[in-house]
Amino acid sequence: MTEGRPQTVSQDFPGTLEAAEQAEAWLARQSGALGLAPDAEFAINLCVEELFLNAVRHGRANRAQISISSESSGVRLEFVDDGAPFDPAAAPVRRIRDRSEDFQIGGYGTGLLQKFSRRISYSRDAGQNRLVLEIDASAGR
Amino acid sequence: MDMKVSEAADGLTSVVLDGRFDIAGAQQVDAEFNAVAERSTALIVDLANVTFIASLGVRTLMMSAKNLIRRGGEMAVCGANENVEKVLRTTGFNEVAGVYPDYAAAADILRSRAAEFASRKA
Repeated sequence: MTEGRPQTVSQDFPGTLEAAEQAEAWLARQSGALGLAPDAEFAINLCVEELFLNAVRHGRANRAQISISSESSGVRLEFVDDGAPFDPAAAPVRRIRDRSEDFQIGGYGTGLLQKFSRRISYSRDAGQNRLVLEIDASAGR
Repeated sequence: MDMKVSEAADGLTSVVLDGRFDIAGAQQVDAEFNAVAERSTALIVDLANVTFIASLGVRTLMMSAKNLIRRGGEMAVCGANENVEKVLRTTGFNEVAGVYPDYAAAADILRSRAAEFASRKA
């Protein structure tokens, strides 16, 4: 366990889907040092993947920076990218409501981001999106 | 991600996935998954060995569910761990496919659906 002072790791990635895979591999290597519980690691992985998909596919970002801090109150995930402005905290949440064949195939990432984090803060500064997600240390719920 | 398909004489098709259903995992299985769904009427996807899923993996499952529903078929998933099931339920995937704790429970339901489908076609 890494109680006490916060631990932070940070890494830059190119804005590609392949880089999302690199980011997840990087995250797996960091989780021991950060003392992440398996549920928190799952939640961070999921958020990183959704944020990459948003930034690369919709925002056409060229680069993204990920920073993860492990604190006693939870995990702080910061994602900065240079893509088009996009605030997932304010985006509509889609969910299939009933059994019919005409449901949408995509657009579920925002709901997942909101479900697997307890708070999302967005700011746009100097041409960059900056998202800060707070994730429960146990990521239960 | 590893994918094994078995097609039984009783009309039940089973897909066993093993690994991470992340971006790379979804890209690996997407084409084969769609092809299997296309020729199935009752499809069970065993997620017991799937350690991770995000929206791209759910997308692959949704495409197949849509295909099956359109043709009067049925899809189910089983064995999902707590986090994987939370992802599926957050998207509402459980509205269009059954979510069962284990393979036997899913197979019981889908076998009867496969029989119904066969009698309708006859």
